[in-house]
Amino acid sequence: MNIFLLSLCLIVVGGSLPLLTYRRFVLTKFLYALTTTIGCLTGLFALCTSYSHLERLSWSWSWLHTFSLSFTFDSLSFFFLLPIFLICPLAAIYSFHYFDDEEKSFRIAVNLFFTNILIASMILVTTAGNMLTLALVWEIMSVSSFFLVIYDYEKETSRTAGYLYFLFAQAGALIIFASFAVIFSHTASFEFNGAATLPESTKLLVFFLAFIGFGSKAGVFPLHIWLPHAHPAAPSHISAIMSGVMIKMGIYGILRIYFILESTNLLMGQTILVFGMISGVLGVLYALGKHNIKRLLAYHSVENIGIILIGAGLGMIGLSLGDLTMAGFGFGGCLLHVLNHSIFKSLLFMGAGTVIKQTGTAHVDQLGGLMKTMPTTGKSFLVGSVSISGLPPFNGFISEFLIYFAAFIGLQYPPHATLLLTILAIISLAIIGGLASFCFTKVVGIVFLGEPRSKQFTKTTEGGLAMTIPMVILATACLIIGIFPQQFIALAVNGLRDLNGLELLDPALCTAIGAQLALASRLFLLIFVVIFFIRKVLYRKKEITSGPTWGCGFTQGTTRIQYTGTSYARTVVSFFKPFVMLEESTIRLKKIFPGQTTYTNQVGDIAEAGMAKGLTGPLVNLLGRLRWIQHGNVQLYIGYIIMAIMVVLLTLFI
Amino acid sequence: MINLNDAVLVIILLTILLSLASNRLLSLVKNMAIQGFMVSLIPLLLERHSSIGSGGLIFFQVMILIKAVLIPGLLYVALKRISIKREIEPIVGYHASLFAGLVIILLSIFITDKLHLSVPDGNEMLLTTAITTMSAGFFLMMSRRKAITQVIGYLMLENGIYLVGTALTKHSHTIYVVEFGVLLDLLVGVMIMGIIMHNINHAYDDIDTDRLNRLKD
Repeated sequence: MNIFLLSLCLIVVGGSLPLLTYRRFVLTKFLYALTTTIGCLTGLFALCTSYSHLERLSWSWSWLHTFSLSFTFDSLSFFFLLPIFLICPLAAIYSFHYFDDEEKSFRIAVNLFFTNILIASMILVTTAGNMLTLALVWEIMSVSSFFLVIYDYEKETSRTAGYLYFLFAQAGALIIFASFAVIFSHTASFEFNGAATLPESTKLLVFFLAFIGFGSKAGVFPLHIWLPHAHPAAPSHISAIMSGVMIKMGIYGILRIYFILESTNLLMGQTILVFGMISGVLGVLYALGKHNIKRLLAYHSVENIGIILIGAGLGMIGLSLGDLTMAGFGFGGCLLHVLNHSIFKSLLFMGAGTVIKQTGTAHVDQLGGLMKTMPTTGKSFLVGSVSISGLPPFNGFISEFLIYFAAFIGLQYPPHATLLLTILAIISLAIIGGLASFCFTKVVGIVFLGEPRSKQFTKTTEGGLAMTIPMVILATACLIIGIFPQQFIALAVNGLRDLNGLELLDPALCTAIGAQLALASRLFLLIFVVIFFIRKVLYRKKEITSGPTWGCGFTQGTTRIQYTGTSYARTVVSFFKPFVMLEESTIRLKKIFPGQTTYTNQVGDIAEAGMAKGLTGPLVNLLGRLRWIQHGNVQLYIGYIIMAIMVVLLTLFI
Repeated sequence: MINLNDAVLVIILLTILLSLASNRLLSLVKNMAIQGFMVSLIPLLLERHSSIGSGGLIFFQVMILIKAVLIPGLLYVALKRISIKREIEPIVGYHASLFAGLVIILLSIFITDKLHLSVPDGNEMLLTTAITTMSAGFFLMMSRRKAITQVIGYLMLENGIYLVGTALTKHSHTIYVVEFGVLLDLLVGVMIMGIIMHNINHAYDDIDTDRLNRLKD
């Protein structure tokens, strides 16, 4: 018996159990977390024990005697399976304390069920061996995650978010199927491996169709609109799974299609690179302007998808130019960032979830001073923030460095477009890194530091153990990848081991880079620890008094004089005005002693506004004019059918 | 010698014309019973040269039972319960319907001619009748207001499909298994329709489908 199938069974059974036992609330949650964790660990075990001959795990069966559903394993699927098996059990454990409303136990049971269906379908997506299988499991994944988004279905916003997500998921799936159909029309088989024989222009068509389709799942810039709506609506650990793992399936799809096409067209890599840069910069920019913490994190997912795509684009360009070092580092950085992002983004979503759950608000400017009342959450969140900003000694630094490295290798190639794009990639990576750090100083500074902005938040408590432990584990993982990067870099580069056309990166170079990165990270950590101790030693004999933050010597200090996130980010946001639709109220002080005044700003997404104006607006207008077709008269509906049949018959005969 | 097969087909055509022209619902139901009976006879007549096994015999008997007795019976009961006697204000008038029926027959002959299907010998008339029955069923659904007439139109459509199946298949009764499944669906459909009609009647004091218009979104 294939151990891997056993793990799948465990996950599905673990998800179905709550439907039966939901009346025993605590038992249900416990059983669910236990089975899901065991299932994922079994899968991980199965993967690791057969790492050197993954194809042994493959299985297939024929379905309806016409199609065969086949599941194959190679190094790329192995690498994308890692985040699934690492993040999902932690999210399952997190849900133990996150879901504590016993009155909603049935709804929670349904939610848990769909969570595990989502996990299982993601596992199957990464292992799907032919197009039909991929299409089928892809749909299961989209639909199950849709049910997760509408968990709070009484809320209008949740329903809208769910609807938006559903639209994007289905439209994306449709375009993916279209690209498969193009392949099928040439090869007449559902297998992936025939795709390499397509003519070059068709390959481009297939690739761009697949890029749009998978990109809408991944959250590439103009198609990312569902992300900032769906994530705040979904429960936090679901956001963690969706943002940490599910959107990576889009990346997986893009990479998979790229490698089965075996094309070396430079255009593909350049397109991916351009979209990566746009997503990265605009994602982080919109994140800066958002006040809802989960929406902000959702935009950071767009940003990180951008970074991942920059890596992938550089890798593809490297492959087209025949430079395997550049390709290896580009793809290696891309894959490692997939893993890293899944770790720190789920950490951040879990942290945000804990904050929202304990305080009851998601608005950044209403929170404050939570570091004192929720130290574990605060510190884990801080670790996640440093990681996502790409700073040493944490993991984000490692993967971003690899991408930088690939870009710098790319600088030596004279073709104008490539050179220009590589330079732009370096610049945008730098901008992204800087803005991300800025944005997370805002989040951490406003939410966790300072003083509570409202009396009700002074008594917040730490979330339950099941919520803090996963965060601590993830934070530790961030640090471990940061300090011992060699193995992980080797793992990421080996992720391309089984893919055609790519020889292994020179292991010596890989180790050397890893060792230097490790040295840098450790040095950084060492300096940090040394300074910390020096400070401790120096202050040992001095008396330390602590006053209120932002006290500034006022006798009647008020917490309202603190910086707000809005004002903090305003300077940067207004600098990028052409790209962000900043709507703000103006403040005019009329008197010497002005009275009460208010300021609000709203940052609009140009993709969202553009799509509303250019696509949905005209569409709704057009369809509104066709509404008379649906009049409710049954007889005329039958008339339509007769008309249709007549048209078909007449076109046949004449 | 009179071809029994053709005679049955003529009767079917006549029932179609009659149902297009009749305004009494009760006679419409009786009409359907006759049509159902005739339609289920067709395969037996076609198979008179080949031997039918006992399984096939039971099959056709059940078919006759459902088409000629059960479904019209259910419709009859539904009709009695809602106590409506005739179709008032049809969308297309009775004379026009009759005329349309004739046009439909002509069109069906044209279509049969053009389709170039490999019909077994002597079955061209059968295919024509089948297409006529289908189109007439459609027409009936389109041109009448009462829900019960729509059900009857639907039944007629199904009879037509059954005839097409008979015309095109090589008369082995195993093929009718599919037909049989469809028929069972239809039976359940008619039962449900009876219940729904009862409820519509309660809710609106009428079974005009026009009243359902307001259910649109």
